[in-house]
Amino acid sequence: MSARPIAMMPAGRRASFLRRHCPAGICLPAAIVLLLAAAGLAAPWLTAHSPLDQDLLQLNKGPGAGFPLGTDHLGRDILSRLLYGARSTLAVSALGTVIAFAAGAGLGLLALTLGHWAERILFAAIDLIRALPGTLLALLLIVGLGSGSGPLTIALGVSFVPVVAYVTRAAYHREAARDYVLAAASFGGNGLHILSRHILPNIAGTLITQAAIILPRCIVTESVLSFLGVGSSPDAPTWGRMIADSSRFIERAPHAIMAPLVTLVLLTLSLSLLGNQLRRRFDPIRQETDVPGPAADPAPAAVRPVEAGGC
Amino acid sequence: MARVLSVLGTLLRGLVQCACIVMLTFLLCRVMPGDVVDVLGLEGGLTAEQQAQMRHDLGLDQPLAVQFGDWVTHAVAGDFGRSIRFDRPVMDMLATAVPVTLRLTVLSFAFGLTLALVLALAATARPSRLFDVLIDGVNIWSIAVPTFCAGVIAILVFSIWLGWLPVIGGLLAPVLIIGLDNAGQIVKQLREELKEAVTLPHVRTARAKGLSPWRVSVFHVMPATMGVVLALSGLVLGSLVAGSLTMEVLFALPGLGSLTLNAIHGRDYPVILAAVTLISVSLVLINTTMDVLHRLVDPRLA
Repeated sequence: MSARPIAMMPAGRRASFLRRHCPAGICLPAAIVLLLAAAGLAAPWLTAHSPLDQDLLQLNKGPGAGFPLGTDHLGRDILSRLLYGARSTLAVSALGTVIAFAAGAGLGLLALTLGHWAERILFAAIDLIRALPGTLLALLLIVGLGSGSGPLTIALGVSFVPVVAYVTRAAYHREAARDYVLAAASFGGNGLHILSRHILPNIAGTLITQAAIILPRCIVTESVLSFLGVGSSPDAPTWGRMIADSSRFIERAPHAIMAPLVTLVLLTLSLSLLGNQLRRRFDPIRQETDVPGPAADPAPAAVRPVEAGGC
Repeated sequence: MARVLSVLGTLLRGLVQCACIVMLTFLLCRVMPGDVVDVLGLEGGLTAEQQAQMRHDLGLDQPLAVQFGDWVTHAVAGDFGRSIRFDRPVMDMLATAVPVTLRLTVLSFAFGLTLALVLALAATARPSRLFDVLIDGVNIWSIAVPTFCAGVIAILVFSIWLGWLPVIGGLLAPVLIIGLDNAGQIVKQLREELKEAVTLPHVRTARAKGLSPWRVSVFHVMPATMGVVLALSGLVLGSLVAGSLTMEVLFALPGLGSLTLNAIHGRDYPVILAAVTLISVSLVLINTTMDVLHRLVDPRLA
């Protein structure tokens, strides 16, 4: 929060204001993300074709009139599948992130406020499933919950709960050790008051940053799951499924695989760049510093919480 | 004494972790909608009585706890039951799949760790723009490009456009892709740790004694970062599993990942259960070993 300049810019210097507050490193990825989200939302109005309609006379056609991005091996319009895919991928991943935070950060903070024992119990429970890699955990949850977008969202969210909980705990302990928290406690402030008025505002930046890091990883996990053919019905338009289906026709119709692939990579890349920018602004402790000198974090490196791997 | 206790505690936690994951998997396999009898019944047109008979034969009508106890006692003796789909002992199926996955993951891990270490050491020894760009590039690649996308790109470019690699069966492409992915996940943190380790007092002392830079980095910097390297290696394991899952499917490698996935699609739960148990137990084992090693290597951790 400290990086934001307080002074207002003079009204006549819009260009430099823009350059200072919205450099290409933020603007470009943000524009891509917004564009994709908008395109996903407006999917029904942007294409004339349904993502499910098969035109068996137009199999594996390259881009051309009628089908701007061509058709796949069943003669389905790739553009409309791409757009509807953006819709489902973004919705499922965003909701998954919300679930991960509601459970991971919510439960984590609750336990941390309740005290030492609640914390130990919760994190012992989280530790028990942490040994399973997120993708495998999500896969298993879908096995148990059944397929469909509801179970998929829940599985995605739950698979990221351990990471979120650990980051929350690290941020909480970092703030709870500060003098102002001690002061608030010595004035007789109760746990809930200290949490909501003192700690939460100060770790909000870390949590928001973490959400921005989790979201692209949710998207990747979602696409991996749909690539593996679990979590959604076989003809549902998801990017992972499009890539998996078209990989059998990769020689004849490379366009059918490149469209979802490029879009997916573009989206995750943009989101992670945005996440990095956020981290630089809001999370000075965990940022990768180029500043020489002793690290800000006094804990021995090995004890520091490390983010679990993606895919 | 404290150290022995903490090592014992780590081992105990690993054991409990294994037990919990196995129980969770067992539970999820049993609550999944539509069991194998439903699937086979639908395909083979079995009557309701035949299905009930089949459930009885498979022990599916027993209480969950009894089924679980049954399974555990057999599993401990190395008997994971028979695959319902293929009517083969699950143990045989695992025995053919495990070497494939083992080769893939060990090679990928070795390549990824080496790449990350080389890049980080080089960037620490001779800070330059080139290494920074390389490290950032590898890092961003691993975040933004999922392994299966990299696999598809590799197939498209190298085996279809250039005609270099055989599309299926080869280990080279999957190993490079997973390794690069792993390297990208740890290289940044590794570089930071090395940069930090160079400023440690004992390293400064070593340098002040007049030791050569080579001796300093091998005998003084590396031991101080060994713990981090171990911790980061443990971190990569998860993505190693996920990566080998997609790579095996994409490159048609008959490993543990393909086996698990086919079992999930076919509701072949003895196979799912055995495969997931094997994967998670080995992960916990590796993580626990890393943890114990870490505690033994790094004197700062009691």
